[in-house]
Order: sequence, then structure tokens, then C-alpha cells
Amino acid sequence: MADDVDQQQTTNTVEEPLDLIRLSLDERIYVKMRNDRELRGRLHAYDQHLNMILGDVEETVTTIEIDEEAYDEIYKSTKWNIPMLFVRGDGVVLVAPPLRVG
Amino acid sequence: MSLRKQTPSDFLKQIIGRPVVVKLNSGVDYRGVLACLDGYMNIALEQTEEYVNGQLKNKYGDAFIRGNNAYLFFSFQYCI
Repeated sequence: MADDVDQQQTTNTVEEPLDLIRLSLDERIYVKMRNDRELRGRLHAYDQHLNMILGDVEETVTTIEIDEEAYDEIYKSTKWNIPMLFVRGDGVVLVAPPLRVG
Repeated sequence: MSLRKQTPSDFLKQIIGRPVVVKLNSGVDYRGVLACLDGYMNIALEQTEEYVNGQLKNKYGDAFIRGNNAYLFFSFQYCI
């Protein structure tokens, strides 16, 4: 009698969020971090702490300056590129596929 | 309606597949359909929208939120 039960399940019916991040390995991703920082890079590795190795990264730091005369908020973004980066997981807020403008 | 002892984890299992709002410590709101979550409260949302004061960005597909940043979930459709 054939056993219908799958004895080896590489993926369960309910996947964890980390399993879904695994699907993004070697893809470009968008990472939102604490302190108004954003990263866009290629995900090479990650772990359960969300420590990550990202390649070919563009980091964006956003600062808000308040112009007291005009009562304006000026959003300034500083960007720079980093070829290979280790990201410590406790700074990560959100991980997503890159934002598509449209 | 039977009263059963429910832990917050049971609530979270029930709202999988439902639209939720996740509030982060930083005050940012994420609204989307809850795809899955784990014991650390890491969250996967689908069709997520990010709200800071006004609407900022739209994220389609999956968005993963690290559990320690999330402090509140609420579901628009509460199921018993």
C-alpha cells in the first residue's frame, strides 16, 4: 500500500516569513532600517536575526531639516554606493522587493 | 459563542489571510493582508501600504517586517 503522507517536506503548508525571504535570495531587495535609512541591494545571505549580506548596495539616508523662517520641512537624502555590506539584523525594520515606480 | 482561553498567538493564527494594520514602534503604519508570521512576530504582509501621517509608499507583493519593531496588530475583520 502506498503511503500518501509526504515524509519529507521541504516546504510546509504554512511558511514562515523567513522562508519567504529565502525566495528573494540573489534578488535585489529593498530594506528599510532604523534612523531613516534605506538600502537597495542584492541579497546574498541572511539569518534568523535578519543579519544580511548585501551586494552592490545603494544606501539612502533621509534627514528632515526644519526651516524656521519659512516653516518648511526640507527632506534631504544622501545616497552612496557600497559594493559589499554586512547589515546587523537589529537595525532592520522591513524587507521587500524593490519599489517599482508607477 | 463559547469562551475559550485564547492567547495572543491564537488570535494571530486566526487573522492570517485577513487585512491587518501593523503599527511599528516608530509610529509607521503598515496595512496589508497577513500572509504569515512566526514565533518572533516577524510578519509577512501582502499588498502592503505604508502610512506615515499621510500615505507614503505602496508596496506590492510581500513585505517582511521584523518582529521586534511591531507593537500592535489590529484586524478590520475580527473573526471569532
